[in-house]
Amino acid sequence: MAEMWINMGPQHPMTHGLWNLRIKVDGETITDAEPEVGYLHRGIEKICENRTYTQILPIADRLCYGASLSWNHLYCRTVEDLMGIEVPERAQYLRVAALEMQRIASHLMWLAAYAADLGMMIGFIYAMRDREIFIDLLQSLTGSRITYNFCRIGGVAHDVPPDFERDSLRACDYMEKKIREYYDLYEGSKVFMMRNVGVGVLTKEDAMNLGVTGPPLRASGVRYDLRKDMPYESYPEIDFQPITHPDGDCYARYCVRMEEMLESCKIIRQALQRMPKGKWRVLAPRNAPIGTGLGRVEDPRGEGMMYVVGDGTDRPYRLKIRSPIFVTVSAAKRMLVGYKVADVVAIMGGLDMCIGEADR
Amino acid sequence: MAGSRRGAPGEGIERAPMKVDGEADERVIRTVIDSFPTTVKDFQKVGAGVLRAKIDRRDLFRACKLLRDRLGFEHISMISAIEYADRFELVYHIACYGSCMLLELITSTPKDDPTVDSVSAIWGGANWQEREAFDLMGIGFNNHPKLERILLPKDFMYHPLRKEYKEGP
Amino acid sequence: MTGKDEGPSLGQAIAFRSKDFLKWSDSVMEGILRRSAVGRGLDFLTKDFFNWATRNSIYPLHFGIMCCALEMAVASAPRFDAQRFGVIYRSTPRQCDVLLVNGPVSKKLKPALRRLYDQMPEPKWVIAMGECAISGGPFYNSYSIVPGVDQFIPVDIYIPGCPARPEALIDGFLKLQKLIKENKKGLLTGR
Repeated sequence: MAEMWINMGPQHPMTHGLWNLRIKVDGETITDAEPEVGYLHRGIEKICENRTYTQILPIADRLCYGASLSWNHLYCRTVEDLMGIEVPERAQYLRVAALEMQRIASHLMWLAAYAADLGMMIGFIYAMRDREIFIDLLQSLTGSRITYNFCRIGGVAHDVPPDFERDSLRACDYMEKKIREYYDLYEGSKVFMMRNVGVGVLTKEDAMNLGVTGPPLRASGVRYDLRKDMPYESYPEIDFQPITHPDGDCYARYCVRMEEMLESCKIIRQALQRMPKGKWRVLAPRNAPIGTGLGRVEDPRGEGMMYVVGDGTDRPYRLKIRSPIFVTVSAAKRMLVGYKVADVVAIMGGLDMCIGEADR
Repeated sequence: MAGSRRGAPGEGIERAPMKVDGEADERVIRTVIDSFPTTVKDFQKVGAGVLRAKIDRRDLFRACKLLRDRLGFEHISMISAIEYADRFELVYHIACYGSCMLLELITSTPKDDPTVDSVSAIWGGANWQEREAFDLMGIGFNNHPKLERILLPKDFMYHPLRKEYKEGP
Repeated sequence: MTGKDEGPSLGQAIAFRSKDFLKWSDSVMEGILRRSAVGRGLDFLTKDFFNWATRNSIYPLHFGIMCCALEMAVASAPRFDAQRFGVIYRSTPRQCDVLLVNGPVSKKLKPALRRLYDQMPEPKWVIAMGECAISGGPFYNSYSIVPGVDQFIPVDIYIPGCPARPEALIDGFLKLQKLIKENKKGLLTGR
């Protein structure tokens, strides 16, 4: 049978965000794959060299719009490391609670898009409806629906609104009930299980060597979660468990993300209950010292890192951004070869790609 | 139903384990300094579990192979390229899952010959990161399987992150 | 075949092969419908109806670029529900009326986007959603962004916001409906 290259993208309903996937098929079986990114490249690293540290805050939000609070926070951590600033405790707990709400919203967005791709439109409807609850909470906290600009260098922008703790705890109770309903919905669907179990297997050694991080890494059996293993903010004070799964297929990635949403509800409860009173922000100096700063966090999509080089002025000399999706997409070939064309949607959808951060 | 999918059976809820201990750091430092006595400089501990070292670019490949094979650094996190007035610097952040360590390995190249050896044969995750460093900063990587532009269009003429390139649409 | 003004006579037409006969009868029908009073009369009777159908069934293209694409997805979610206005997303440009550009257009994307616009059949409209599509947004002085999509595609509706809220997007669709209503054109004669 003749082999040929097929182009999926850049405009394709499956590709959330714009990227191109070229697959070489032999009949229905995939023999080679070559993802192509760069359609969303905005040159953020060059832009940041001409903006002051505070002006970069809204730009860091727009790196990955699915989890924008996480990138905003990562940038603040990096610059706080460069300037040597210690964030007050109330701000640390508030950051943790907001980050976990963002994690739930991001995973629900993934679930909605994944279900819609696999043909279960009801999953899209339910997940979007429940995501609105967390978006409303974050909107009452920060003022915006998706690009929040909430963290500042030295803390957070403002304190919680009235009744925030009560509404958040009610939302967590509601979410925990709903996730059990989701299990029934998805695992009761024979088509969903057939399309996910045993498809797109990524072994443990491959996952570690190819630089895959985040839920796909934990779904291949590696127990590494930056919130537990190199903790930051007030994560050391909070009891939770990183979720792993031994199989490494699409079903494992789905399981890991669903359980992570339950863990996030636990973390939000503990963070809001333990939050002390006090300041929520310290003022940062205008000029950064000469040196380097490193930030490394567990983004909902993997390991996000930023490296900043300061040169004594109020603009960074160099800001380098490490995107988890950029590296995970490069591992697509290992996950796709040997499966059928119809499995591309399940495999690539299960990686939760937000191409804005890959292209920067 | 939900509980059966958790990690290894029998694991209880735990506080954040501080797996980073002084002994593992010392072992790494001693092994690396012993293997490359003349080319590794400025080994220092920067934070909890974070180490930093400078290395000559000719020994980079052998040092990375040693890190992966003998010391268990399985994951390359980030490869950053920085341009200074007199040199290019490449900063490799390499992580070890088992002992929760991060090593910052800095190597520099002269301004007129910005090439180093590629480490994508050691860690597959370095492949696209090196392509990006080539695309945006113009660093050449020897023995890279496919060194092409990745983020910019193929016919773009410049390396935009260089300081001589002024931004503008 | 023969001269444009008269066309072949009936006597010659009977002797055509089937392909040529179809071509000739097409051109005759076109002359009757598009250029004569019959066409104008038909248009006068049906213009309002077809215009009502067009503006209440706007089909945008399934094309999400950046942050505003999330708000586009949310606009068809249960809370904001753009589908009650007839807005259903289609996956192929050949079946769409509206190209919704919702993010910054990079130089690598520019030829692909122009090709998508050219593939759409008439009548078509373009909505620029969000600051990045209107003028480049926060990345206006980047080396790899086209500052505004109206540099290479004609835009009908601009929706400001960064990101534009789903309510703003629905308001944009309603304004597009008003625009379509004000510019009623007959489908046959185009007037």
